[in-house]
Amino acid sequence: MNKSVLYPTICPFTKFPTAHLSDIFSLAVTDKQILSASGSNALQAHSTTDAEFPLVQILEAHRVGCHHVVTNERGTRSVSVGFGGEIVIWAFQDGTWLKTKVVTLKDVWAVVLSADGQYLAGTTQDGHIKVWDLDGNIEEIRDHETKGSFGTCIDLSPDGRLIASGHESGSVYIFSTETGRMPFSVSGLVKPVRTVTFSPGGKFLAAAGDSKVIVLYDTSSGEQVASLTGHSAWILSLSWSSTGEYLLSGSFDGKVKVWSIDTRSCVATHSESEKAIWSVKWLPKIGKSEGFATAGASRSISFYREATGG
Amino acid sequence: MVKQICISEDDGQPAITLKRRTNNATNIFYIDPSTGALESEEAGTEVTYTWPGKDGYEAWRFSVVMRVLMAINEAFQSGLVISKRDIYYSDPAAFESQRVVDVLVDDIANTIGVDRSDLNVEAAAKGLVTGFYQLTTTTGENIDARLLTKDCLIPRVQEISRLDVSDVDWVLIVEKEAVFRRLTQSSFHVRAAAGVGIIVTGKGYPDLRTRAFVRKIYESIAITRPNNPPPFYALVDGDPHGIAIMSTYKYGSMTHTRENRRLVLPCLRWLGLRTSDIVDAEESTNENETLSLTPRDRKKIMTMLSRSPVLAIDGPEPEWRVELQRMLMLNMKAETEIQYDCNGGLEAWIDREMLWQDSI
Repeated sequence: MNKSVLYPTICPFTKFPTAHLSDIFSLAVTDKQILSASGSNALQAHSTTDAEFPLVQILEAHRVGCHHVVTNERGTRSVSVGFGGEIVIWAFQDGTWLKTKVVTLKDVWAVVLSADGQYLAGTTQDGHIKVWDLDGNIEEIRDHETKGSFGTCIDLSPDGRLIASGHESGSVYIFSTETGRMPFSVSGLVKPVRTVTFSPGGKFLAAAGDSKVIVLYDTSSGEQVASLTGHSAWILSLSWSSTGEYLLSGSFDGKVKVWSIDTRSCVATHSESEKAIWSVKWLPKIGKSEGFATAGASRSISFYREATGG
Repeated sequence: MVKQICISEDDGQPAITLKRRTNNATNIFYIDPSTGALESEEAGTEVTYTWPGKDGYEAWRFSVVMRVLMAINEAFQSGLVISKRDIYYSDPAAFESQRVVDVLVDDIANTIGVDRSDLNVEAAAKGLVTGFYQLTTTTGENIDARLLTKDCLIPRVQEISRLDVSDVDWVLIVEKEAVFRRLTQSSFHVRAAAGVGIIVTGKGYPDLRTRAFVRKIYESIAITRPNNPPPFYALVDGDPHGIAIMSTYKYGSMTHTRENRRLVLPCLRWLGLRTSDIVDAEESTNENETLSLTPRDRKKIMTMLSRSPVLAIDGPEPEWRVELQRMLMLNMKAETEIQYDCNGGLEAWIDREMLWQDSI
C-alpha cells in the first residue's frame, strides 16, 4: 500500500538556520503564531498565517534561558518558565505579547494552561502537581502529592477534567481536577517519561520518554491500548494533529516521526540532523493543509507543510 | 614586605588594619577581554584590630593576626616555604581553627597586594602530574618523567628553573584522582593514539599550585612552539562541579580573582563529559549508571548560570551554558567513570574524542 494514500506527504517547507543563539527547548502555538523558548535571553514569536513564517516579536525575558512556554487554546495568554525559576505571564493584546507578571513558584518545572487561560497547572521537582488561579492573586488551589519523583511533563485534557503528569521514575499519573483524586492507576513506563499529551477529543493520553516507545492510554479506564515502537532514541516531545488522526514525535537523535492512530503505525520519518529534537508541535491548518514545526539542539525551527500539487 | 601593614598608634593603642575581601555573593564578576581572566569588582572592606581592644575577642583577633604575621615574616626571612597548616599547628589552641589562619593569610596577602605564594605560604601539595616532560629544579635536581609510570606531586613553579615540554602532543587535565590513576597505570601518556602527553589532576577544584604548573606548561609551549601548540583538554564529570572546575582552570576561580590573570588557560578545550556522551554511554552499556541531579545540583547550576560571566548569553562559552541547561532539562548527570565500561574503555574513548576534536 502506498503510504501517501494513508498520509499526505509533508515536506520541509522553510527553515531558520540561526533562529536562536541556543537550543530551543519548547514550542507553543496559537491560531496565529508559534512561540519558541530557548536557552538565550528572549523568546521569539513567528507568524504562522504568513507563508514565510516571519519573526514578528522578540519577547525579552529569562536572562539565563527558558525551558517551557505554553499558551491557552484561544491564544490570549502565555506562560513561560525560566531556568532561573521565574515564571512570566504574557497577555496577547492588539497583536503583541505584553509581559503582565513575573512570579516565582517554588521548584516548578513543566506547566500547562487551561483552555480559557485562567488556570495554570505545573509539576515540581519533588513530584507535586499543583494548580494556580492566574486571575487575581495567583493563588495555589490544588496540590497533589505523588511519590516524589521529578515531574518532567504535564498536560490537561481538552475539557479540563483531567491532569496527566509524567515522572522521572517512569510513572504516569492521571488526576481528576474536580475531586483531586486519581480515578485509576496507570501502569507507566520503565524509564523516565519526558512527554505526556491528551488527544484532541480527550479519548487517549500518549506518553513517551527514554523507553523509546510511545504508549497510548484509554483515558476512561487508564488501560494501555497501544504501544508505538520505531524510535531508536529517547523521545522528548509528542503532539497530536487537530483531528487526532496523527501523532507527531521527536527524539534525542534528531528523528521526527508521524504516526497514524488508525493503523497504529509510523507513516513518515523526517531527519534533518542528528541533533536532539526538544519540541514538536502541530500547526493550525491553513485551509485544508496540515503542517507542523520542530525545534531543538539545531537551534532553528523547521516548518513542514503538506506538499501541494503532488 | 610585612612592614607595609599599617600599625598605627593614634590613640596610644597599637592597631592593625587589614583589607578583607567582601563576601563574594555581592561581588560583580566580569571577564577581562585582554587577559581572558575572571575578575571582580571588589569593594573590599577594611577591618582594624587594636590591642588590647574593647573586649577579649578583639584582643584575641589582634594576637592571632600578630602570630600569623610573625610566622610569615620568619618564613620570608629564612627563605623557607610554610603551609597554612604549619601555621595553624604551631599553636592550635591559640588559632582555634584552621579556617581562622586561612582567612587571615588571604587577607594579609590581599592587604599587601601580593599573591599568597609571594609570602612563602603555600597550601599542602595536592595536584599530581604524569607525562612526557623533563624539569630542572632551582636546586639543580634533574627530573626526567618521560618514561616513568609513577606520578609525582606537582612542584611549586618557583622551584622550577627549566621545564622541557617540547615533545608533547597533548596536555590532559582530569578532574578526578581515580581517573588520573587509571590513566597513569595504563601509561596513557605514552600510549595515546594522539601521541605522547602530560596528564594533570588537581583532585577536584585545583589549588593555585596546580593551576600555576599547568600555566607554566602553557607558557613554555608558547615560547618553544608558538606556531604548533599542542591541544590542552579538560576531562571533567558531566555535572555542575565538572563545568565549574573546568572554568576555574580556564578563566580562574571566583574566590581568588586577583590571581586569575596570571593563571588563565585560554586554550583549554572541553573533552567531556557532555550530555550526549552520557546518553550514548547509557545506551551502549544498557545499565543505568547516570544519576539524577540532586536539588543542590540544580541550585548550583542556576547559581552558575546567573552569576558567572563565563556562562552569560554574550559570554565566551555558549556551549557550556547550553550543556548546563541540557542537564537541567534531562535532570541527569554522570561521572567520568561511566566511560570505563564503554567500547574499548576510557582510554579508547579519550583517543576517539581527541582525534575527533583535533579534526574540527
